[in-house]
Amino acid sequence: MSVIYNSMYYIASGGLILIGLYIVLVKTNLIKIVIGLNFIDTGINILLICIGYIRGKTAPIFSDPRIKSTSVVDPVPQALVLTAIVIGVAVLALALSIVIKVYEHNKTLNVTKIKGLKW
Amino acid sequence: MRKIISIIVLVIIAAGFVFTFSQIPFGKDKINVAGYYIERGIKQTGAVNIVTSVVLNYRGFDTLGEVTVLFIAALGLGAVLFIERKLKEGIKDKEDKKRKASLILRTGSRILFPLILLFGAYIFIHGHLTPGGGFQGGAIIASGFLLMYLAFPRKSINKRTSNIIESVSGLVFVGIGLLGLVFSGYFLTNFLPKGVPNTLFSSGIIPIIYIAIGLKVGFELTGIIDDLLGRSR
Amino acid sequence: MVNPSLLIGIPLAFSFVVPLFGLISKKIEKYIPIVALLINTAISFILIPQVLKKSIVVSIGGWSPPFCINLVVGPLGIFLATLISGVSLLISIYAVAYIKKEPTEKYHMLFLLLVTGAIGIVLTGDIFNLFVFFEILCVSSYALVAYNKDKEGAEAAMKYLIQGSIGSGFILIGIALLYGIFGTLNMADIANKITLANPTFLFISMAFLLTGFGVEAAVFPLNAWLPDAHSSAPSSISAILSGIAIKTGVYGIARMIYTIFNAEGILTFVAFLGLITLLIGEMSAFKQNDIKRLLAYSSIGQIGLVIFALGIATSLGVFAGLFQIVSHALAKALLFLAAGYMIYKVGSKSITSLNGLGKKMPLTSFAFTIGAFSLIGLPPFAGFISKFLIVYAAIQVKKPIFLAFIAIALIATVIEASYFFKIVQNLFFKESKNLKNITETSGYIVIPIIILTISIIVIGIHPQLITGLLKEAASELLGRGGYIAWVLGGS
Repeated sequence: MSVIYNSMYYIASGGLILIGLYIVLVKTNLIKIVIGLNFIDTGINILLICIGYIRGKTAPIFSDPRIKSTSVVDPVPQALVLTAIVIGVAVLALALSIVIKVYEHNKTLNVTKIKGLKW
Repeated sequence: MRKIISIIVLVIIAAGFVFTFSQIPFGKDKINVAGYYIERGIKQTGAVNIVTSVVLNYRGFDTLGEVTVLFIAALGLGAVLFIERKLKEGIKDKEDKKRKASLILRTGSRILFPLILLFGAYIFIHGHLTPGGGFQGGAIIASGFLLMYLAFPRKSINKRTSNIIESVSGLVFVGIGLLGLVFSGYFLTNFLPKGVPNTLFSSGIIPIIYIAIGLKVGFELTGIIDDLLGRSR
Repeated sequence: MVNPSLLIGIPLAFSFVVPLFGLISKKIEKYIPIVALLINTAISFILIPQVLKKSIVVSIGGWSPPFCINLVVGPLGIFLATLISGVSLLISIYAVAYIKKEPTEKYHMLFLLLVTGAIGIVLTGDIFNLFVFFEILCVSSYALVAYNKDKEGAEAAMKYLIQGSIGSGFILIGIALLYGIFGTLNMADIANKITLANPTFLFISMAFLLTGFGVEAAVFPLNAWLPDAHSSAPSSISAILSGIAIKTGVYGIARMIYTIFNAEGILTFVAFLGLITLLIGEMSAFKQNDIKRLLAYSSIGQIGLVIFALGIATSLGVFAGLFQIVSHALAKALLFLAAGYMIYKVGSKSITSLNGLGKKMPLTSFAFTIGAFSLIGLPPFAGFISKFLIVYAAIQVKKPIFLAFIAIALIATVIEASYFFKIVQNLFFKESKNLKNITETSGYIVIPIIILTISIIVIGIHPQLITGLLKEAASELLGRGGYIAWVLGGS
């Protein structure tokens, strides 16, 4: 039980990344593949935050004079995740616009049927 | 066939994850470089929100890059979904056939829209005192505009004003960085007075940059929504 | 002393300013990238003598490393930054007359941001900052590949985006693992502490990072996106993607293996992968009928050769690899620009449609020929020196397996020579009936082609112009102790 208690967040983030990879590699609908890319980004963000967590400590905002500098969690992964979330959103927006264009030209979202460029 | 290869690849990656995650103990104290930021954050930057001082002061270059990536996405969307002028005339007739939104949506959004904008502005102005900041506030502002788009299918924002606000806010951010270069020889230094911690007018350049980022992100995301709906003239 | 952070700040500021200039007049928007890149090239040339004396470490924000993001402008960094600025300047001059599809101001802004991303990658000294600039490069190239909005462009951009996003995700996983163990994000700091961690852990995180950079560097088996993306993009974008963007992926791989992880043991495997990439690239190029796809496959092959050269861990090998980067960037940019102009005039991409263009477009065809000969490795062009040095460096390694590698590399060169000779023969010695009113009139397009041709010939005859800088760059890559000392030990 203590193994699960210590690692359930890692299992969650690793699981999200693997599910996202499975969707991108196996599914054939373009919108599903884009959602899979989003899963991968979410999983990586959760992984980053897990790495910065310390048990029993609180958020790094010194709004209250009682919060000492030894009782806060690591602020750097939170800054990294802010950046990573925004980059993920940007790629998602661009991906959806390209999917709109692909649908306009091919009238289908099935990846196996879009074979304009051959070997 | 494709499924079998994918499953093998995923099993290998899962094994990699299991090994590496077991090497990083969960919840233990392993602060290294971040200890420096926590100890000296308030004295050196004046912001009580240490995450904000890391984002804008110690690692401000990453934030500049992040703002640029969002800008690239908005530009790319505008370039990919651009419709030539002659084709636009054909689309206009379809628009007049859209139904009006329901009465609840129209009335409610008129009441909620200024409140949403106010809330978003509160979040990015107080970025150095409470959790939040420019990106979060900008996203809230864009959701307010999305509500208006849903309620009034025939209206849209003025694209020209939106572009000008985006460009000017971006220039404010880069300009403050270059001013830091002029004043103290390093890009993006905090050259304004730090003030008293935990008050609104403190921590130098941080509130100014967050206001610029909040406006830029808000109008950028609204521009993205506008392009996806295909409405601007 | 000029601050190197201007090298990144100036293209960024100019790209934000383009819509404001557009309010004054729509016509001057095309010239702004030229102004920005001219300033950039000038600054990087001014910085070269300074950097050769002592590397510059600039901290952003005034804090001292490793508690800040810092730019490490060593010989390798300034060499790549100069190459990027120079080649992009020429391509931006070409784009003034070549890009006609609306909305052109967004094209120029995206182009400037792509160059910003590339320069940021080679100059930074912080691993998460490297990821952010890498994303800037990748996202602007996704948008630019789809710029023509036609059927092939959208499909190619979609494939590139999916594979590129997975690659970026892997890089971020690698960075997360490194931060979890070491607690710092500064590359020199991680390099200093690298021996304190479990070797298997380091191997797995290095595998994630190399896979991520390998997608952009188009190493086998991660290069499925490249032929589509580079052939369906507008020709100026194909030129900068093949000339510059691939090289940043190779730079990422080199930084990871040499400076951070110090993984000399994996270099033979990396050289082997480079060789397979070379063989597959050249063999696939041989079968092509579409000229831009042929050039894209040739890019895959030549970058495989660069990775093979970097995998020979001697100083001559790394030096030869860097020289090959220069000669390939110049030659491939020239080939794509010339081919783009020819396709634009003739209206079709197939090789047979280029028959007889040697008489109607003599300048462009001559430039194409020079580029092709340099790529094959004929004297007296730049490509001859780089290929000769690679083979010589591989011979000097006294292991028998490297002799087998050299044999494969020479076979690939013979295949390459055969398809390029076929094209040159088509250009000059075949006749075609439907070429009526084709002339070379546009100065903006012809001038960059001429400048690239001249530089290939000049570097081929006088390689001493760049060998000093390249030798220092090679020793920076191999001497990681020096890199750590610049940043941490009293900058």
